[in-house]
Amino acid sequence: MSIQTDTGRHAESVWYASDLKRYLRGLGGLTVFLVVWWGGAIVTQPSYLIPTPTESAWAFLELFTTSTEIVVPVFGMNLVLPTGAAHLTETLFHYVPGLLVGAVCGIGLGLTMGWSGRLDDWLRPLIRILRPIPPLAWIVFAIVWFGIHHTGAAFIVFVGAFWINFYGAYGGVEGVDGELTDAAATLGVERDLSMLKLVALPNAAPQILTGFRTSIGRCWMIVVGAELFGAPGVGYEIINASNNLAMDTSVAYMLLISLAFLCMDVGFRLFERRLLAWR
Amino acid sequence: MALSDSPSTTADSTPKIAVENVSNAYESGGESVQALSDVSFSVDDGEFCCVVGPSGCGKTTLLRTIAGLERPDSGSVLVDGEPVTGPGLDRGMVFQEYALFPWRTVRGNIRFGLDRPACGCSDCERRVQELVDLVGLDGFEDAYPKALSGGMKQRVGIARAIAPDPEILLMDEPFGSVDARTRDRLHAELLDIWAETDQSVVFVTHDIDEAVTLADKIVVMDSEPGTVRSTLSVDLSRPRDRTATSFVDYVAHIRDELGSPTETNC
Repeated sequence: MSIQTDTGRHAESVWYASDLKRYLRGLGGLTVFLVVWWGGAIVTQPSYLIPTPTESAWAFLELFTTSTEIVVPVFGMNLVLPTGAAHLTETLFHYVPGLLVGAVCGIGLGLTMGWSGRLDDWLRPLIRILRPIPPLAWIVFAIVWFGIHHTGAAFIVFVGAFWINFYGAYGGVEGVDGELTDAAATLGVERDLSMLKLVALPNAAPQILTGFRTSIGRCWMIVVGAELFGAPGVGYEIINASNNLAMDTSVAYMLLISLAFLCMDVGFRLFERRLLAWR
Repeated sequence: MALSDSPSTTADSTPKIAVENVSNAYESGGESVQALSDVSFSVDDGEFCCVVGPSGCGKTTLLRTIAGLERPDSGSVLVDGEPVTGPGLDRGMVFQEYALFPWRTVRGNIRFGLDRPACGCSDCERRVQELVDLVGLDGFEDAYPKALSGGMKQRVGIARAIAPDPEILLMDEPFGSVDARTRDRLHAELLDIWAETDQSVVFVTHDIDEAVTLADKIVVMDSEPGTVRSTLSVDLSRPRDRTATSFVDYVAHIRDELGSPTETNC
């Protein structure tokens, strides 16, 4: 008993030490990066090519000390927010609907196709052809169908989210253990829909959630790409600032995207861990 | 030692389970493999029947056919005189590798069959708790399968299978993956549960000792293709002593039947 507690405490202190070491190393890496960046920015001429870390930090602060008015789509009302938050909100206006609708459609089709062999036969060649097309290539249709505004950008995000989530759900359902469906069958599950809901879906949950988490990141890349073509939001602000040679502001917006992604990723990981406690 | 070859000697009443001339083949690497060939035997109401034979003799296929998970190519399985057409809540099944739903807790796994269709029991929560107690898992109700040992997992498997109160319990080498001591304890517990529930049990194993420990009746199978070599009743009082001469005689007899003097294990 006492031996057990001893080793337990020992293991814990070892864990703390290695953790601290890890953080220190991470901090070291960041410092080296900042120093190299700084040095590079100082020696590079003309100076606007690489803004220094301090210039960028000031530009980042400025995003939250000035305010900007944006239009809320659908409702048409105006909203005044700190500049950074305003443009981030603009991005979210097409990012969130694109991501969610794409995820729901992708998961829905993935589940159905993974479950139904016949539908799989029908759609597999089509999907083989459509899948490799990069979501951003659809921008031409987004432009002619919707115009490059919120709807067009949301459409691009939709395409990106759709495929990632489709494959998550498809793989998850396809890989369901035959013994589990057998067990469910002997326990009274008769209809396909019940089997899908009670066995295939929970069994595929880890892969579906991983797919969704991947799509959160991928869609940030896509949304910025769409905005470089002119949809309002942080991506547009990056290119807009650089057109004015305000590279420090561009860097500030890049940092803002990174932070937004990090928050979403960490938040979703926590949710995922709670949902998959059984793993 | 009572030996009987014919499955249909019970003239007065229909047996609980009647396997009649069942043949089944499956495809393996483009070749058709005969898993079962003209298999017949019957299990009476409340009888504990063990099917013993070398691996590859089609024991599992036979059990799955009774469960309705597989259709025989010819012949039929009758339960209470009615042909089996698919799985049903009247036949509970315990799987060799447990087949527990990993995303459900012990309670959730046991509960699974009670919720399908709409709950037939008046107080499901209590029924689940009773089953948890019956298989000795109190304190682990909210644990997920990943946290359980093999023996505990199979206890959940048994509780889950008997939860909807099936008349027949089908067990596919259920204790093949647990250590010997746990297995002994599970044997005793299973016999207690069986005595309490009056179920008819078909228990598949390759372990002759296990079969003689548990069964009223033993169906000895032969491999390639799977056929019934003989059927015998075990007239020993329970609990059975594995060192008793009569017990050893039964084991030796079955070993002779199987034609392998030392090793019947896979």
